[in-house]
Amino acid sequence: MVIFYRRLPKFEYIKPESQNMLFEILSDNKNCSVYAGGTDLIPKLKKRLIKPPDVLIDLKGLNELDYIKIEGGTLKIGALSTIYSVATSKIVIEKFNILSQAAKSIAAFQIQNRGTIVGNICNAVPSADSAPALLVLNAKLNIKKKDGSRKVNIDEFFIGPNKTVLDKDEIVTEVEISEVPSSFKGIYYKLSTRGKMDLATVGVAVLLGSDNGRFSDIRIGLGAVAPTPIRAKRAEELLKGEKINKELINNAARIASDESSPIDDHRASATYRKIMVETLVKRAICRLTEVG
Amino acid sequence: MEEINIGDYSLLGKSIPRIDAYEKVTGEAKYAADIELPGMLWCKILRSPLPHAKILNIDISRAKRLTGVKAVCTAKDFKGFRWGWMPITRDEPPLAEDKVRFYGEGVAAVAAIDEETAEEALELIKVDYEELPGVFDPEEALKEGAPVVHDYRPNNISWEFHMDFGDVEKGFKEADLVREDRFATGRVITGFLEPPAAIALWNSSGITIWAAKQSPYFVYRHLAQCFNLPLNKIRVIQPFVGGGFGGTKNDSVAGDFCSVLFSKMTGRPVKFVYKMEEVFLTCRRRHNAIIYNKMGMKKDGTITAMQSRLIADGGAYTAIGPLTMYLTGCISTLPYKLPNFKHDAYRVFTNNPVGAAMRGHGVTHTRFAAEIQMDMMAEELGLDPMEIRLKNAIEAPYETINKVTIFSCGLKDGLLKLKEHPLWKERKKENKDKETISGVGISGVAYLGGARQRGYQSCAAVLRLCEDGTVEYLTGATDAGQGSDTVLTQIVAEELGLSIDHVDIQRVDTAYTPCDAGSYGSRVTALAGEAAMKAAKDLKRQLAEYAAKEWNVSSEDIVFKNNKVYPKHMPDKAIPFRKLAQIACYSGVGAVIIGRGYSQYGIEPYDFEKGIGNAGTAYSFTSQLTRVEVDKETGFTKCTDMIIAHDCGKPLNPGLVESQNQGASVQGLGQAIYEEFVMDRGRTLNANLADYKMPTAVDAPNIEVIHILTDDPKVPYGAKEASEGAIVSSPPSVISAIHDATGIWFKELPVTPEKIALALREKKKE
Amino acid sequence: MEKKEIRFKINGEDTVISIKPNKTLLEMIREDLKLTGTKEACDHGECGACTVLINGVPVNSCLVLAMEAHGKEILTIEGLKQDDRLDPIQEAFIQNTGMQCGFCTPGMIMSTKALLNRNPKPNDDEIKEAIAGNLCRCTGYTKIFESIKDASSKIGGK
Ligand SMILES: Cc1cc2nc3c(=O)[nH]c(=O)nc-3n(C[C@H](O)[C@H](O)[C@H](O)COP(=O)(O)OP(=O)(O)OC[C@H]3O[C@@H](n4cnc5c(N)ncnc54)[C@H](O)[C@@H]3O)c2cc1C
Ligand code: FES
Ligand code: FES
Repeated sequence: MVIFYRRLPKFEYIKPESQNMLFEILSDNKNCSVYAGGTDLIPKLKKRLIKPPDVLIDLKGLNELDYIKIEGGTLKIGALSTIYSVATSKIVIEKFNILSQAAKSIAAFQIQNRGTIVGNICNAVPSADSAPALLVLNAKLNIKKKDGSRKVNIDEFFIGPNKTVLDKDEIVTEVEISEVPSSFKGIYYKLSTRGKMDLATVGVAVLLGSDNGRFSDIRIGLGAVAPTPIRAKRAEELLKGEKINKELINNAARIASDESSPIDDHRASATYRKIMVETLVKRAICRLTEVG
Repeated sequence: MEEINIGDYSLLGKSIPRIDAYEKVTGEAKYAADIELPGMLWCKILRSPLPHAKILNIDISRAKRLTGVKAVCTAKDFKGFRWGWMPITRDEPPLAEDKVRFYGEGVAAVAAIDEETAEEALELIKVDYEELPGVFDPEEALKEGAPVVHDYRPNNISWEFHMDFGDVEKGFKEADLVREDRFATGRVITGFLEPPAAIALWNSSGITIWAAKQSPYFVYRHLAQCFNLPLNKIRVIQPFVGGGFGGTKNDSVAGDFCSVLFSKMTGRPVKFVYKMEEVFLTCRRRHNAIIYNKMGMKKDGTITAMQSRLIADGGAYTAIGPLTMYLTGCISTLPYKLPNFKHDAYRVFTNNPVGAAMRGHGVTHTRFAAEIQMDMMAEELGLDPMEIRLKNAIEAPYETINKVTIFSCGLKDGLLKLKEHPLWKERKKENKDKETISGVGISGVAYLGGARQRGYQSCAAVLRLCEDGTVEYLTGATDAGQGSDTVLTQIVAEELGLSIDHVDIQRVDTAYTPCDAGSYGSRVTALAGEAAMKAAKDLKRQLAEYAAKEWNVSSEDIVFKNNKVYPKHMPDKAIPFRKLAQIACYSGVGAVIIGRGYSQYGIEPYDFEKGIGNAGTAYSFTSQLTRVEVDKETGFTKCTDMIIAHDCGKPLNPGLVESQNQGASVQGLGQAIYEEFVMDRGRTLNANLADYKMPTAVDAPNIEVIHILTDDPKVPYGAKEASEGAIVSSPPSVISAIHDATGIWFKELPVTPEKIALALREKKKE
Repeated sequence: MEKKEIRFKINGEDTVISIKPNKTLLEMIREDLKLTGTKEACDHGECGACTVLINGVPVNSCLVLAMEAHGKEILTIEGLKQDDRLDPIQEAFIQNTGMQCGFCTPGMIMSTKALLNRNPKPNDDEIKEAIAGNLCRCTGYTKIFESIKDASSKIGGK
């Protein structure tokens, strides 16, 4: 049966004004969904890709979650911070530039103005653009529920396409990123067919710290090439502490490609994606290290 | 305001702002989906989840019982009605009858008090299918034993068309180089932003429907046939139309028939609006085609013969396919001299969505193949791609071997302008960075203006003079966005010496406007324009007689200019046009002043079976330079510049001509490198605007349009064609630019980053 | 599914309306408020035809729930004209033929409005980026760019 729905399914709408109220609802109402910008959730509801919730909970009543701030060197991004505000935040641009690059690469202004970084992560698609950047920044997610909270490293957050470690009664309240040494540099490459308004066929984030011609730290995040966004840890290991040189970079790029496990889909073939991981990892490291 | 001197005119040749611009920038302009009527119901269609299946049973009982549902229908309510372009190809029912032939074909429909209820009701309809083996590739469908899509075409050949002129074998023998290649064009769609929508009302005066149509007189006839009513009981009213580009909005859609039927069943107005995914999955798309092309060339670049075998994916129904097949061949003899030509086109039924017309109809396929093959051969022979075009380009007057007659041709002129353009002269420049390579490509093409189909051809205009000197202009032609309302109004105002705001054009209402063939094949300016010109001359003639009496001069000597009227050489005697209108309207009994005109161009016969004669009234010539930057590792391609030398004859409104070229070339860029439906056994996997990648503002190149002026006697004021040439010229010039950058010839569209990257790796290995 | 009352300002006018929770802002604007200038094309945030400004910020109204309008200021294409005087952006789109079919035009103009409010002197790349979320199938964008540049100079940008 094929029906092209133009209308949303039926649901109740609640906009809690306090976290207490939110967690009350989450803890006793069985079939409910939270949303922030709705840029992922609303289209899914329209297309009936997910079972409609009885209650849709709009997080935007929790004004206290709309912030981007630095506390003791640590960047804190509240769950309601939009993609646009992260992309254009002075602090982010200056100190966590790779995240601003990633945010800028998402869709266009209309979506950036509504969508949130936290929503991007919680939606958990392999191509989420902020994910590779947050992975290399070792972001931590602060998660809360009615009577408790926990902190999860982003590399433990994703468990599969559209799946995270979040329980039904939990929300992510904040993304936390520890200070990155000011000498670190990062690049996010998003490969797509169009110049804008496109999803990544491959996303590559590289964060580099170098010291006296050596890789003092190197982190590689990959998007759209595995069931979840991933870190290319083996490639990182190969480089860490080593002297910066072209051959090593080539080898690391090849290993990063081996670490990816892309699929064929209507956006690109697995073969192409694998090659592109190698190409873009190499390109990013070369550019950051200024190796020819 | 931009202005080009195309003669002694006050309005023509000027980029007058669009007459509908105010309505469009304020949101006042009403499109079909914006219209509501009291008591209106919503119609919604249930569609097939299988590409090929027998329908065993449809149970609508539960849907009918849902509160708010007013009617449910299935194919049997249409009593066997089928529509199609020719009497012998009427094979398409509004809803599937005994079997479904493509994924998403309509099987039942519901009318309910609101759309939400209609959607809910569809969920309650139960359809039992018996799945049949499907066929999804046209070449597979031609094989012995392939599943049969329509019993009346047991070999799955929906239509075939053959041309044979001169002696191709002899031509190939005379050649120094003969090449054979397989080309393929992609699965693309028009991509208008306004989904089809309509609101229908059936009452004692018959059917009234406000429908988003670029050719409203198609649905007018379809509805008369379907509901067995005389034409004067069918009223199609034309709201603003949000883009057409052929195919879907030239034709009827299931929603049109169902909403009318529901209005008949319930006595209430019924509205439907398609979803964009529904458009992508179930509406007309361009045929995708495989072209086996063979060309013979002498050492000096002279083309001696061409032979094409084209296999087009027709999808599940015939639609306008026979005309598509005709157009793939009949224009292949342009714009280069071709002494020997053979063409065999096969339109093949498959279980895919229906292939039909789209801007650049038919010609895009074969011209792409021929242009690229010509470039490939030039390269093999060490000839310059510019020179080879200049060498073979026709010059007017000219008659092709299949008797297409050319009275004006700006191809050489255009090519010579491009040859001197810095983009061409300085094309061996250094590349921007080490990852990016750039290239410049060229193409030269022709397209027909004032196209004709087999039946009713003419366009007409009626002008009604108001006593205050303003004019009501009725035309059956539709402005689907191209700007024809503005140009037609310019013509009427020009002839009457009025300023543009004195003439008010009415959008189509079949109850009042004269019948018209439709807005396709670049025919409106040429043919409706001729009608407008003649109607204005007719009105002027009548008025001149009143004026002549006043001044006692011959009516031929009356001048209409600047909202004034005066006897020749006596401008000091001038009276306002308004005054003359009053005199005329008030003089005696029955002085109702109406000007009438209809088009007569392009009515000589042509041979649809053999491909002989003029399918168009006049022909445009477009040559194009394109520059691209290609990332040699990722294949990411950015088109940076396009220079389009376009011979539309005389640009009556240069701004609108430019806009047509800019829009068409970017649509062509989409076909060349971005757009493609990815299919899996009849299902389209990327039926949305995120994954079907139409170019965005960031992807659009800088576009320069160079007007090449020619003078064609066959069309009014020498205005030929402006909207389709550039969608034909764009893909080959883009692909030729990519070749210039990469050294690789790509023969299948679209050329995506993936294809480029993988091909470059292969090349590196060699 | 109860209707709920919401209050907001649209095009400068205070409005109170009872609305079902599963209505989008786009549906409310077009069907309940009868402001049909805002268009629906893709219904999924992919084309920008439905762009309106909420508190000055451009969003796809097809992805916003009507409920969320509560307490907000909304601007649609109908709200640009002031006492019969067109907005300079509208003037510029007319004079530069920044449209063909006009279906993308309201959204295009609303994105432009947001751009020029934020940045009265955008360069070419900034213009392209600002309307990257607004598809136009007809014009190839050239004349839209020209319209936006002209609008920028009209409002004193340069
Ligand atoms: C046209 C279009 C283009 C797009 N382009 C891109 C692109 O280029 N790159 C890209 O990465 N994405 C893209 N997206 C996807 C989307 O915009 C982003 O993922 C966005 O960041 C989602 O944020 P949101 O606040 O709108 O999420 P929502 O839709 O509000 O939520 C998404 C999911 O996360 C959950 N969620 C949200 N907030 C929380 C929370 N605080 N705690 C727990 N769960 C939560 C929701 O329940 C839901 O399941 C695009 C979407 C559209 C419609
Ligand atoms: S209709 Fe909202 S973005 Fe397309
Ligand atoms: S003018 Fe038609 S889509 Fe832009």
